[in-house]
Amino acid sequence: MEQAAKSYKRARKLAKWTPYLFISPWIVGILLFTVGPLVFSLIMSFFNWPVTSKPKFIGLGNYSKMFTDDPQFYKSLWITLKFAIFYVPLSLGISLILALLITQNVKGVKIFRTIFYLPAVVSGVAVSIIWGWIFNTKYGILNYALSLLGIEGPKWLVDPNSAIISIVIASAWGVGTMMLIFYTNIKGISPDLYESAAIDGAGPFRQFWSITLPLITPTLFFNLITSTISALQQLTLVLLLTNGGPLKSTYFYGLFVYNNAFKHHKLGYASANAWFMFIIILLLTALIFRSSSVWVFYENEVKNKPARGGKGK
Amino acid sequence: MLKAKGKSLFIVMLLVVLSLTACGGGTGNKADQGGKQTIRFATWDSEDNLTLQQELIDKFNEQHPDIQVNLEAYGSDYDTKITAGMGAKDAPDVMYMWNYPTYKDALEPLDPYIEKEGSDFKDNFYDTLWNYNSADDQILGLPVGYTTHVVYYNKDLFDAAGIPYPQDGWTWEDLQADAKKLANDAESISGFAFSGKPDPYDYEMFLWGNGASYVDDQGNLEGNLNSPKSIEVLTMFQNMLKEGYAITTEGSGATEMKSGKVAMFTNGAWSIGSLREAGINFGVVELPKSKDGSAISIVSSSGISMSKESSKKDAAWEFIKFWTSEEANKARIDYELPVLKSVVESENLKNDELKKVFYHMLEMSEKYTPASFKVDNWSEISERLELAFESIFNPSTLMDPKAVLDDAAQ
Repeated sequence: MEQAAKSYKRARKLAKWTPYLFISPWIVGILLFTVGPLVFSLIMSFFNWPVTSKPKFIGLGNYSKMFTDDPQFYKSLWITLKFAIFYVPLSLGISLILALLITQNVKGVKIFRTIFYLPAVVSGVAVSIIWGWIFNTKYGILNYALSLLGIEGPKWLVDPNSAIISIVIASAWGVGTMMLIFYTNIKGISPDLYESAAIDGAGPFRQFWSITLPLITPTLFFNLITSTISALQQLTLVLLLTNGGPLKSTYFYGLFVYNNAFKHHKLGYASANAWFMFIIILLLTALIFRSSSVWVFYENEVKNKPARGGKGK
Repeated sequence: MLKAKGKSLFIVMLLVVLSLTACGGGTGNKADQGGKQTIRFATWDSEDNLTLQQELIDKFNEQHPDIQVNLEAYGSDYDTKITAGMGAKDAPDVMYMWNYPTYKDALEPLDPYIEKEGSDFKDNFYDTLWNYNSADDQILGLPVGYTTHVVYYNKDLFDAAGIPYPQDGWTWEDLQADAKKLANDAESISGFAFSGKPDPYDYEMFLWGNGASYVDDQGNLEGNLNSPKSIEVLTMFQNMLKEGYAITTEGSGATEMKSGKVAMFTNGAWSIGSLREAGINFGVVELPKSKDGSAISIVSSSGISMSKESSKKDAAWEFIKFWTSEEANKARIDYELPVLKSVVESENLKNDELKKVFYHMLEMSEKYTPASFKVDNWSEISERLELAFESIFNPSTLMDPKAVLDDAAQ
């Protein structure tokens, strides 16, 4: 009897651990390929490491160099922030409008859905090459189209003033994933709400403002955070489309880190750069989270609150 | 109950095995089998050239029963991958190399190996090339291929404009005069094209040709980069843009040349194949001279080096010798200019209409050392120069060369 109880206990114990064992390949993967390098790069940020020879401990040297002795650091940071200020609202707006469009019941909506989503599937390298062609001042299709309208297009990628706008446009082209997230959310809103609103005489704009928008704030919140993060981490496009140029006007922070690491072979310094960006992203995300209590609206909060209030004596 | 226990045990085992195989792959490679030494050889080549390289390696492996060479094709981003390998103490034993100053600490000096082979061995390579395959007065690689830079010109456009083809020994004034005649706004043809964001490494040859350079032997920019002779060169290029018969391009100008809209541009031997494919009727001629100077070209060289960390250096040397031998030089002749005098002789390359120009440029360009070999932080200086050149050539800035170079020399 006792024997049976013991083995039962052991089996229970084992059963408790089984789920962890099931996800262990993933855990091993993240430890080995994400957490490991992360910790390693944090350690390396305190070293001077030219890769081809041995690392040398320099304490906070990399960090102090970054803040006091590298004008490019501030320039790149500013360029990246400027990009985020343009890109985040624009991409949120476009993806929301697209999502609203593809929820309409018109013929061929599935095709449009596919077309709008397609850019999200295409690899960043291909996207960069295509936009390189589109933006070409002399032979590009964009300036050709503008010339048909009688407008002389800007020298997109050649002029330092318009290069960052070009990057914003090319980035905003790939909002398919955000659009899809908005779309599923909008599709999930009960049609009853719209019906009763229509009966009360609300037009489409009023319906959007009073029903759709409040109900998709959680998605808006999610998309805001992810697009902010991806804006601050932008690299592929600037690496391949402009390589920081013209005249360093698109020398984004991501490129700054990349070049420090792989062009100048200053891996320790690049690690310090990367960790600083990590902290900025962390702070920004925390800020957005803090603000969310003011403007993000969860349906279940409303359903529960009056119920609880009613019960109380 | 027992059954359940057996089941979960089985699952546990399965998962352990799975996770072990997931992360433990590829450790068994290091042991050499049957006394055979395995050598890793990294190349930046891809596609067609790779097939040829593998064939050569197969030949080597056949001839050397005790050595096995494995080809590792890193392709694009070669430098990043080599760097990562060195950082992880896992560099290939033998590797293609060009940027010696950057990698010198991780490369084995080859002078003792070369001496053992006798002086004839070293003398058979073109002298100019040793400069480009050394750092800190030590030879760190054997030359495999090279290219000097020349002017490519479109024969059809010259014929249409009714002017004779350029001849060796011509001057920059000749080039400008030709370019003016060749430029044709109505058909949007430009006389000359050069990169609007030139690679500073390549651009230094234009300064050399005018008796200037980026740095002196001590590595000082001040007084060299912004010397009157340097400013003169940059001003000349800028003027060609301002006067409208030359254009800047994003790359070397090869793309524009291929479209038939550009009459002349400078580049290494890389463009021969693609221009032929594009059906352009072209010729090559030496770089133009400056008024009181000479035509000097930078050399873009490819060498082959040995890792300092390698544990099989003798076998690695054996392979390096093979890779730079006459046989291998001849095998690569279609896509690389041979570096051995004996091969140039036996293949009669000095009489080849195109190739002789590159060899002539090579001989004229002896004793010049690029700035990248003279300064420690070349990659940063290079970035600074790139920005300077760009602000001189960018159409929306076209800044004054003197001001820009003075600033960059600080």
